[in-house]
Amino acid sequence: MIEGTDRNLLIQIEEGLWPVDRRGGPGKPHSGGLRLELESIRSSLFEGYTRRGFDEMFDEADRPRPHYARLYDRLVAMGGEELSRRHRLSDLILRHQGITFTVYGRDQGVERIIPFDPIPRLVTASEWEKIERGLKQRLRALNAFVHDVYHDRKILRDRVIPPDLVLGASGYRRECLGVRVAHDIYIHICGIDLIRDETGEYLVLEDNGRTPSGVSYVLKNRQVMKQVFPVLFETYAIRPVDDYPADLLATLRFAAPPSCGDDPCVAVLTPGLYNSAYFEHGYLARRMGVELVEGRDLFFDRGQIFMRTTRGPRRVDVLYRRIDDDYLDPLVFRPDSQLGVPGLFAAYRGRQLGLANAIGTGVADDKAIYPYVPAMIRYYLGEEPILRNVETFRPLIPSERAYILAHLEQLVVKAVDASGGYGMLIGPVSTRTQREEFARRIEANPRGYIAQPTICLSQHPTLIDDRIEGRHVDLRPFVLCGREIKVLPGGLTRVALPRGSLVVNSSQGGGTKDTWVLAELQDELRESGGG
Amino acid sequence: MLSRVAENLYWIGRYVERAENVARLLEVAYHLELDAAELREESPDASPLADALSVLACRDAFQQRAGAVLEREQVLEFLTIEPVEGHSIRVMLGRARDNARASREALSADAWDQLNSLFLEMRTSRARLRLQQSPLRFLEWVKRGCALFGGLVDATLPRAEAYHFLQLGRHLERANQIGRILQFGLPRLPALEALDPGTLSAMHWSNLLKSCSAHEAYLQHAHDQIDPVGVIGFLILDEGFPRSIRFCIDRCVESVESIEDDGSPQASDARRLLGRLSSELRYLDQRDLLQRGLQPYLVGLLVTCHRIGDAVHLAYFQTT
Repeated sequence: MIEGTDRNLLIQIEEGLWPVDRRGGPGKPHSGGLRLELESIRSSLFEGYTRRGFDEMFDEADRPRPHYARLYDRLVAMGGEELSRRHRLSDLILRHQGITFTVYGRDQGVERIIPFDPIPRLVTASEWEKIERGLKQRLRALNAFVHDVYHDRKILRDRVIPPDLVLGASGYRRECLGVRVAHDIYIHICGIDLIRDETGEYLVLEDNGRTPSGVSYVLKNRQVMKQVFPVLFETYAIRPVDDYPADLLATLRFAAPPSCGDDPCVAVLTPGLYNSAYFEHGYLARRMGVELVEGRDLFFDRGQIFMRTTRGPRRVDVLYRRIDDDYLDPLVFRPDSQLGVPGLFAAYRGRQLGLANAIGTGVADDKAIYPYVPAMIRYYLGEEPILRNVETFRPLIPSERAYILAHLEQLVVKAVDASGGYGMLIGPVSTRTQREEFARRIEANPRGYIAQPTICLSQHPTLIDDRIEGRHVDLRPFVLCGREIKVLPGGLTRVALPRGSLVVNSSQGGGTKDTWVLAELQDELRESGGG
Repeated sequence: MLSRVAENLYWIGRYVERAENVARLLEVAYHLELDAAELREESPDASPLADALSVLACRDAFQQRAGAVLEREQVLEFLTIEPVEGHSIRVMLGRARDNARASREALSADAWDQLNSLFLEMRTSRARLRLQQSPLRFLEWVKRGCALFGGLVDATLPRAEAYHFLQLGRHLERANQIGRILQFGLPRLPALEALDPGTLSAMHWSNLLKSCSAHEAYLQHAHDQIDPVGVIGFLILDEGFPRSIRFCIDRCVESVESIEDDGSPQASDARRLLGRLSSELRYLDQRDLLQRGLQPYLVGLLVTCHRIGDAVHLAYFQTT
């Protein structure tokens, strides 16, 4: 879709067609007269804009929220045509840099760029402070839980979580019982999906503790925004995201087994070119300055894992593996796996190899376990959860099952072992046949499903052609657990591009936005009357 | 460096070089086609574009696809924007880009960006239009695109293994191509005696030089009209011209020496073969070439290049 766009566009824009803003820089209050003028232009850019659910930019009186005011002014001043020109340019940059993902299904192995929406999402410092605390708390509890499941199982013996839910989870790996990992950290990299309900409260929708992806888009989106909308950056003090690769590398090195020296050799293990997140694997490897390896580059010898290099074998100490548990080692898991390394599990078990994330962490992000995470937090940490879960009904409990079956039309039903927006029933937009089908499935396999009320996700102004409309968004922050727990400021804002859609997954037509966590200073400016 | 990545880089070097050579060959052939009136009088079935198919060893493949009749436009399309057949510039660039995609972390962002953009542009309808409107402009664009890739590699990659594997592939491929151009071109050329400018055989010889971008360089070197023996000597033995076989083999030797610079006393077969060929080219002169017979010598040279390719695989890509 970008192929028709000329490179000239890139040159034109870089050569100073920037509209010159004569209204003064950040912090200077605008004159009332100008605001009026802007209001009259607003009609075209925001024409037909309607609020549904919590709107990130506008309050109930349709006024921009204080921290969005300057962005709003800039957008209006720039106008729809200019915005969409720059939008095309950002697509061009993404395509030319090969920032693509692979779509499965219809046409096998088609490369697409994830649609990038140029209107950034803003999070204030105080909102972020709470999110950050909540995420750290959650990851500490999840790690304690995984350790417990594969060792003492106290939480099961104390009947906080039903044992069969845990032992029956598709992510549970019996082979990992008693396996020790460095510093008892299992989930080193976690993506925790947040949504905002109608009141604007941030809720945890799901945890991704296996191989969460998307962080490369966070880093790339920021770079693209800086190229295409530098003007917007002058308006805000935004917390940078660029430290992530260095933090990730430190986290991975911390996962090295005690047997290796001071300078562990880290590599990223990818399933290969045809994986949908291949771009990310290569990008992170490059930014960390480590090798990107495939299973066939590695081999097992005398208890250790080596990679084949032009100068012979070289020992690998830590793998940031982006291959699912099942495919890691054909000798232990799926014997038909072509992606893994025979012997890898033996090296891991023998503490000659660190894996991030550890094997068997799927037990913690199982959707059937999810309702128990608040209980986990209380159990292991003795704290109240800072971020709430979305209310969840479990078909295993007879009264809840009855409720689910009676209210399918209002609920979202999810298969516990599916992700990426597959295997879902969205009640309000479902057909009778679909509901009957899901009712049958739930009764046949109550362990396999959960149900949640259909939450109207918060919406955010989004560029649709050359106008701005509201589209629903979620937020996936990334949390690293090494020597300390670090949260990447911001994360991936995913946006459901079809009007009214609540599904933000990129495999289902979702796009992304740059997410700006505002530095403390910004809040002060705002309070002193800036916007 | 990972063997798999090294192999990818080596093939990027080879494929980009091959794409550029196809463009150059076609450019010369197309010029000649436009001058064909005079040519046809002397040898009625001469078709420079068909010759290009032969140099690239894909005449049969073309005829299987397009039939026995060699339409100029069809040959051009077949060797440029044809998406599936294994001989077009687009296919070469596609393979180079696939290799690059699978080892992006080893290339610089600039170099990747250039290769990726070039390939993507190649698939557009605009590229087809450009080819139809002016084949020469199209070919020029390809050559520049490839050269820009080479330049970005030079300007942005550290002189470490990644760079040397790219260079190794590039120069080995180039030596191969020059060898094939000479091998194919020589038998069609009239006797190896001094030529008067303006004659048809002088044109043949200058086209041979142009196929290697060597025309101007040769004239500067020889200060003379075109002397067939001098031309052959120049394209095989010149030390400083970037499209002579000796120059290419010397660069391969440098790359391999840097790659193997690990203090190990034992040289790989790849390094030995390259070293031997390099010193042979250094101490040969034009008379030796004629004495040995040009055709047999070129055949031997191409065989050695293939053996070097195999040895490179064994030495670096299949190490365990």
